Amino acid sequence: MSDEYNQKNTPLEAQSSETMTDISGTTSKDIDYVRPAELPEQDLYHGHSFITKWVFCQDAKVIGVQYFLTAVFTGIVGLVLSWLMRLQLGYPDLVPFITAEHYYQFVTMHGMIMVVYFLTALFLGGFGNYLIPLMVGARDMVFPYVNMVSFWMFFIAVCVLMASFFVPGGPTGAGWTLYPPQAILPGTPGSNMGIILMLASLSLFVIGFTMGGLNYIITILQARTRGMTLMRMPLTIWGIFTATALAMLAFPALLVSCIMMTLDKMLETSFFMPAIIQAGEVLDYGGGSPVLFQHLFWFFGHPEVYIVALPAFGIVSDLISVHARKNIFGYRMMVWAIVGIGGLSFFVWAHHMYVSGMNPWFGFFFATTTLIIAVPTALKVYNWIITLFRANIRMNTVMLFCLGFIVTFVNGGITGIFLGNVAVDIPLSDTYFVIAHFHMVMGVAPLMVIMGAVYHWFPLVTGRMLSEKLGKWHFWFTFLGAYSIYFPMHYLGFIGVPRRYFEMYDSPYVASATGMNEFITVAALIVGFAQFIFIYNIVTSLSIGKPAGKNPWKANSLEWLTPEVPPAHGNWGEKLPVIHRWPYDFNVPGAKEDYITQTTPPSEVMSAEVEKT
Amino acid sequence: MSDNSLNNLPGGFKGMSHDMGSDQTAFKGAQWGKVMMWIFLLSDTFIFSCFLISYMKGRTSTVVDWPNTSEVFSLHVGGVPVPLLLIAIMTFVLITSSGTMALAVKYGYERNRKMCGWLILATAIGGLTFVGMQVFEWSKLIHEGVRPWENPFGAKQFGSFFFMITGFHGTHVSIGVIFLFIYARKVFRGDFDNAKRGFFTTMKSDYVAIEILGLYWHFVDLVWVFIFAFFYLW
Amino acid sequence: MDEIQKKKQATSTHKLGVYLWIWGLLFVLSFFSYLVDWFQFQGLLRHSLILIFMFLKAGLIMAFFMHLYWERYALVSVLLWPMTAVVGFIVLMAAEAKYTVFTRLLYFFIGG
Repeated sequence: MSDEYNQKNTPLEAQSSETMTDISGTTSKDIDYVRPAELPEQDLYHGHSFITKWVFCQDAKVIGVQYFLTAVFTGIVGLVLSWLMRLQLGYPDLVPFITAEHYYQFVTMHGMIMVVYFLTALFLGGFGNYLIPLMVGARDMVFPYVNMVSFWMFFIAVCVLMASFFVPGGPTGAGWTLYPPQAILPGTPGSNMGIILMLASLSLFVIGFTMGGLNYIITILQARTRGMTLMRMPLTIWGIFTATALAMLAFPALLVSCIMMTLDKMLETSFFMPAIIQAGEVLDYGGGSPVLFQHLFWFFGHPEVYIVALPAFGIVSDLISVHARKNIFGYRMMVWAIVGIGGLSFFVWAHHMYVSGMNPWFGFFFATTTLIIAVPTALKVYNWIITLFRANIRMNTVMLFCLGFIVTFVNGGITGIFLGNVAVDIPLSDTYFVIAHFHMVMGVAPLMVIMGAVYHWFPLVTGRMLSEKLGKWHFWFTFLGAYSIYFPMHYLGFIGVPRRYFEMYDSPYVASATGMNEFITVAALIVGFAQFIFIYNIVTSLSIGKPAGKNPWKANSLEWLTPEVPPAHGNWGEKLPVIHRWPYDFNVPGAKEDYITQTTPPSEVMSAEVEKT
Repeated sequence: MSDNSLNNLPGGFKGMSHDMGSDQTAFKGAQWGKVMMWIFLLSDTFIFSCFLISYMKGRTSTVVDWPNTSEVFSLHVGGVPVPLLLIAIMTFVLITSSGTMALAVKYGYERNRKMCGWLILATAIGGLTFVGMQVFEWSKLIHEGVRPWENPFGAKQFGSFFFMITGFHGTHVSIGVIFLFIYARKVFRGDFDNAKRGFFTTMKSDYVAIEILGLYWHFVDLVWVFIFAFFYLW
Repeated sequence: MDEIQKKKQATSTHKLGVYLWIWGLLFVLSFFSYLVDWFQFQGLLRHSLILIFMFLKAGLIMAFFMHLYWERYALVSVLLWPMTAVVGFIVLMAAEAKYTVFTRLLYFFIGG
């Protein structure tokens, strides 16, 4: 690839035979040579009625917004559930309707909603759908119809999930990991309809996601525009692509465990159920293996962590690069780190199971792989920091959220090293230390990226800017508030406060934990309400925000270079764009402006010392 | 790209780095739908792998004896038990249908509409026969007292895994049969010759759809190879 | 349209004989794996024979019926590399199953 570029940049030297036919005599045309199109123009369905344009729409951008809104709606439900949990923990018995059963149901639903229906759907369904066709220069996803069905499957999955709040017994209270045997035995809240609806909803989600995921992967691999090589794609696309590939390979394990648990519940098979005596009565189960479920679940569950994290890594790289006006340090290293993390993530799952009673040798194996996966992750952090070093940083809301991401991610990553080691994990497992760790690393950190990304791409989607002033308030409330919530939790974990406990009663550590729990609860309420600043900002900016115009951030990547802003159906008007470079040519020595867009041909920036991509 | 340029590309591992490093497409000359089916099958492979891995874990770790499949699945022919007879016939039928499908793909690309249509129909009938024999097998076992939740011959998990895995595979076969009939009709109607637009997707029909359908059908056969080896023979 | 059609003929149709050969081989291999059970081979011989015939059959179906042999390596490698995750899962779960049965025998029968 770099060789080809060299050839084109030095036109007086050897040419490939293909290029020769294209030469019309001038050197400039020669430099700008890009291979001709391999594929015919994509055949698109244009909606005519309101329903085909906005409801059952086949335009990936509209589908992305639909995914986004649905995911945010479920996310708000998850947020409210977390308030209720915090109220109970900070001020026991303050809210009368939060009983122990309800508390467990809130814990379960909060976890499942946030991980699967909020973060996964938002990153891949929302950002993926909106950005992939724009950033790789396609007119739309390759299978727009399947893409539309994908969203509606997700929508049904959310409806089924929400329906479980209203069935007799309520939603399941088994914890988001749904471990059998307790998940399907009487005594666990929602062990009848609740768990069945949860499993059905997850299965629907997997089916819907598979449809979407096929679209994302094939659009990225097979529908790029002329000149767009894999190594010229923005890191956002690399993150989303790898995460989707992980999802395609990890969700099957979830689907299988859902099917098997549904059979255990409804047909009384014994896949996961050992012989059980309940209230003096021997149940019909026997011979099954609960650890099998945990292995299947975490074979999905650990890649799932990276399904959430990798798009965040990718997006934050792009945001940092644009707002620090500097190319991302070590682009290829970043790409290989993403791919490497993705590959390794299938070999680390049992570090969630150190105390489960699995084969004791596994602790050795999985601790090793877990520490190995920290290497590419650390590389990425170094590269973000080096990108910021001596950069021309614009300290706007987007950049603030990026910096917030780096801080929270480093924080959560370091506690991850603690928990990855068996000897340290055993005393810390099932304490608030774990809660603090994973909320920092896959709760707050990706959320910071999502918010930064919304501030960044809102002008593209709507044509108007979000208010910077409100944005900064939103950032500081969220960032400081999130730290007030999760930093004390590390301490709670160290003194041994167990997680998933409804109440501490008269435990010995209650004295020092009580005040801290109250503090965390207040902080959680404030952070939660601060999100309404964000929503207010979005709603008002839709009508009174400053018009953004074209490319307000002076970014290089393709999504800002559409003929119309916001982009219309089909994205590119008459002609597809032609790509000549990577999207990170900021502040190139010798260039007139501080950015060179991906579509700028080399002949226009002859004197610029651009990177060879 | 014309057919020459595909043949002019470097092959082998050099071709791999060339394709991955090039613009536009990573899989040169592969249609979107075909790549989609491949990636879907990859995902589906993980589903069946998880089923079979669970089966391995369940069967290895049970302390109750696993039934002897050779006896459980034997048929009596003239009073003599023949081990795995039905399974052998089912394997035969499925491989036959896989062969007819492969030929249907070949004739589809050669635009031999009649031949392609008849071969797809033959494949569909082979699939139906397979499902029919599976129904027979299930009813025989149920008659003998095997249920998903219990099993008179030994470990409970035998019944559970048997019905779940063969059921899931049978579902794949049934879905395949439905699509085979739909596509046989489309072929006979000439949709692929006239590039008729699809009813749902509004996209033009093309004979590559037959290859995609074929990929799915061969995958179903492929899974059966593994189930046959691990569940019936092991 | 003509050009597209020509391309497909060049890349995707093969001699009838290839398919018939593979078809025949599949029957033969299936027959062999059936014979493994017929002769009641046991132990390592049985398991290795089953695996050999299984992988041969799977390989033939993938390579020729699913045209993988004729596809470019880019597609082949993207399809086959993820199988390492499955292989890792199988190996680890085999170890786990052995350990589970060990603990069960220990606690249920010996009474550890």
